[in-house]
Amino acid sequence: MLAQRDTAWCKKTQLESLSGMEIWRIVNAKSRAQGDEMQVVTTDVAVIGGGAAGCYAALNLSKRGIKPLIICKGLVGKSGASLFAGNLVISGRALGNSEDNARNTAEFLIKYHNQFLIDQGWAQRCGQWVEKVYYPELEQAGLYFRRDDAGEVVTSPGKIRSIAANVQGNSGVPFMDLRRKQVIKAGIAKMEETVATSLLQNLDGSVGGVFCLNYITGEYTAVLARAVILATGYSDRLHTRSTGTREMSADGVALAWRAGATLLNMEMQWWHTNDMAHPPSWQRMQIYPNPMLGSEKSARMLNSVGEEFFNQQQDDPLAFGPYTVQLKALVKQVRAGKARYEGDYYAGFDNCDAAEVETYTTYAKTFRQLGLPFPSHLAETAVSSHYRQGGIDVDTTTMASSVPGLYAAGGVGGHSNGLIGLATYDGHVVAEGVARDIGMLKAVPAWQGQIEAECRRLDRLRSSSGDGPAPGRLKEALRSVMWEKVGVEKNASDLRSALDDIERIRLELLPGMKIRHTGKSVNYEWLDAIDVINMIEVCELVIHSSLERKESRGPFIRQDFPLTDNDNWLAANVLKKSGNGLRFEQRPYDLPLFAPGFSRKDNLEVAW
Amino acid sequence: MTLVSSGDAPVPVVPSVDGRRLGQAERYDSLAARNSRLSPGELLNVRVRRSEVPAGSDAFQPFQVPYQKWMRVLDALNWIAENEAADLAFRWFCGSKMCGTCAVRMNGREVLACWEAVEPDMVIEPLRNLPVIRDLVVDRTRYEDKVASLEPWIERHEPYAGFPEPITHKQMKDASKALDCISCMCCYSACPVIGLGNLTDFAGPAPLVQLGQTALDPRNSPDKVRRSLELTGIFNCVSCYKCEEVCPASIPIVSRVIEPLKAKAAQLAPEMARHSLALRGIVARRGRVDPGELILRVQGLRALANLRRILRLLARGKINPIRTLLGIRTSAAAAAGRLLGRRVEKP
Repeated sequence: MLAQRDTAWCKKTQLESLSGMEIWRIVNAKSRAQGDEMQVVTTDVAVIGGGAAGCYAALNLSKRGIKPLIICKGLVGKSGASLFAGNLVISGRALGNSEDNARNTAEFLIKYHNQFLIDQGWAQRCGQWVEKVYYPELEQAGLYFRRDDAGEVVTSPGKIRSIAANVQGNSGVPFMDLRRKQVIKAGIAKMEETVATSLLQNLDGSVGGVFCLNYITGEYTAVLARAVILATGYSDRLHTRSTGTREMSADGVALAWRAGATLLNMEMQWWHTNDMAHPPSWQRMQIYPNPMLGSEKSARMLNSVGEEFFNQQQDDPLAFGPYTVQLKALVKQVRAGKARYEGDYYAGFDNCDAAEVETYTTYAKTFRQLGLPFPSHLAETAVSSHYRQGGIDVDTTTMASSVPGLYAAGGVGGHSNGLIGLATYDGHVVAEGVARDIGMLKAVPAWQGQIEAECRRLDRLRSSSGDGPAPGRLKEALRSVMWEKVGVEKNASDLRSALDDIERIRLELLPGMKIRHTGKSVNYEWLDAIDVINMIEVCELVIHSSLERKESRGPFIRQDFPLTDNDNWLAANVLKKSGNGLRFEQRPYDLPLFAPGFSRKDNLEVAW
Repeated sequence: MTLVSSGDAPVPVVPSVDGRRLGQAERYDSLAARNSRLSPGELLNVRVRRSEVPAGSDAFQPFQVPYQKWMRVLDALNWIAENEAADLAFRWFCGSKMCGTCAVRMNGREVLACWEAVEPDMVIEPLRNLPVIRDLVVDRTRYEDKVASLEPWIERHEPYAGFPEPITHKQMKDASKALDCISCMCCYSACPVIGLGNLTDFAGPAPLVQLGQTALDPRNSPDKVRRSLELTGIFNCVSCYKCEEVCPASIPIVSRVIEPLKAKAAQLAPEMARHSLALRGIVARRGRVDPGELILRVQGLRALANLRRILRLLARGKINPIRTLLGIRTSAAAAAGRLLGRRVEKP
């Protein structure tokens, strides 16, 4: 296609690292300096993200003879959220689950994990797939589910059961390591430490490619693909304290929004309540509250005066991932002056034997590394923003977004909150969806205008030479506004004030950004400059969405609307682009399996 | 009430029971001590190796970083990037010992930046044995390519029995240790054999741990394991335990991964283990190493091609043909034979 349009400014080369894919190297694009090169790669499907959803989508596409290319901002299987999977929930009747266990797992997913803001049909299909396909397939591929010496799979007992890959707390590591190796084995092309900076669109608006920057080499690549799958994960790292990993900056949502995709429930932010308060780089290190493998006990949380205020196995055994229940318990402590969201409360395992914790879990590692006596000492903990339940609106049977050619799988989708099994299921569904549609989809032609505009935008960012702050400082400023004014407890006046602050950052600070190092190679300042633009956009969407949902629900706590309002808000908060602005719509959820069973109630008194 | 570590209260120094840290408690260098000997606000002297150096200064740029509670090396680097050198290049993703991308050398020792406590005086350098791209960021390609070439995945020799398949933790004990690997490259940087460059074909500790995850898994086919092992040059490992010493995941790399892999190699591909098997046989028979016999058994008549070397060894008394030919044993022969077994098992 490219050759037919203009052979004068490009020449064809083959790069072995991209598995024999068709690669064109533009040697002298118009208006770029002589010698400035970029490459144009043609593939069937571009998968953005190298976590559980992205890898599985790529593997399934590849099996179907559709050629995927993984574009990963970090390293495939070593960045993003999937790595953090502590343990793996058993769904359905797998592994000796009783009828009750099966029902509890479904109920937990819908109530506690999603506060009913979930497509229950998708949840049901997902549960069945996890039971029938996911576990056997992983084990067959070699994943080691922890056994005891007699050969029994070790589970966490209780209303909902879980298992671990090798060791609880670290399951994501061998899990994603396996995926990384499966991707290598399948010969799937991957571009790592490469950030997708914009989606390329056909004249009819359909998505047909991705523009990206390898920030290690500084090289631009235009990927021409018939479909693009966004699999960029749950966490955005938009708050001062966040479980998101370094590279996260809400890119997936920002790219989709700019391309015109519909979003939903962007206000539904999950929180970890017991992550390490110190040091700053351990803000995503959790004192896991979930049930432990091989033990009836769980960690406990104490307020500043030493009173226990949460212990999952005692307080709410149905809340397998008890984050929302914990959060509500903490809100009460904060309001009573016995904790702060930034610290002054503690968590640990002093109710357990060391051996009980350490036989199957990594949970002691933080204590041990600090030289704290374990398990007798507790650690000071704080809140970190965690998953975003909301995201891109998808058709859950195909994972297609509202923009033709654009798909979303895993946490970046708005259809459910995440777990590694659910994200993997999305990878399966999206591969089917893309396979079904791909005949009707087309890649963008190597349309110079769009590609050149993006080259110029990124070139300009790299030479930002204002007298203002470094881009990294802007990111921190933004996170600080979100932490102070869009934190656990929200109200309209703080939210509006946050919008004002962000507008100031956008209008006054952003244009004056200063990059010290203007080199192309391993320039993290340049990456920060690209990130911060996405973050600003998504922060504003989050705040507008937060203002729109006039109730409190689970982890979404409005001081000015304290009730959970099922009469008016058991609905998706749908966000659409309209002209240069945005508009909201409500879309009620079907409740075929579970229903809340009340109209309105103080959110802090609702169990989930 | 439970002991609550309120933060500023001094943390008692607990003698460590971890053998790798012997002597540290006496030097007031236990983990507890490291995390409590600085107080918030105290200035750390940090020198970071930079790639682009202004004329007239050395490669190490000095910074003074205020200590924060329980500060990690990564916190110090982040502070420097936020406050002094926005252009400092260092890689990290998770900040919690899972992604394994933030390893650096601190005061001459490989550490995970996110995991290691800061020191009052720190020199921070990139890992060794991998090319530096910029500042502290190294190119991992050499490692990734090696791992890929070993094809560290399972080829089942028996059909999959369905979930959950019969397997015990006892069978998975060594593989399970290897599964703790986060491929941070600390061991790869610390390995002196890898430091020799292309002089050997040694794959290095990190790729071997990756291979161990599946090669020590009883579900894997011996034929597959043999094919992978043949690409490792594993007998170049000198068992110096440097890798174990620096491993942030506390994997017993030599004793639980490399040694078991060597044993597998000796069994599945004995030609790889020629030197080791010969040495073992000689010691078992004679009660000591006989270098002359070792050379003959390993190199055979090829040894004669290097006559000058042979003469040099003779002159220095390193080999003694008479002793070798007479098969002289020492008084330890009986004990050695009992311990090592007279005959080395052939597969």
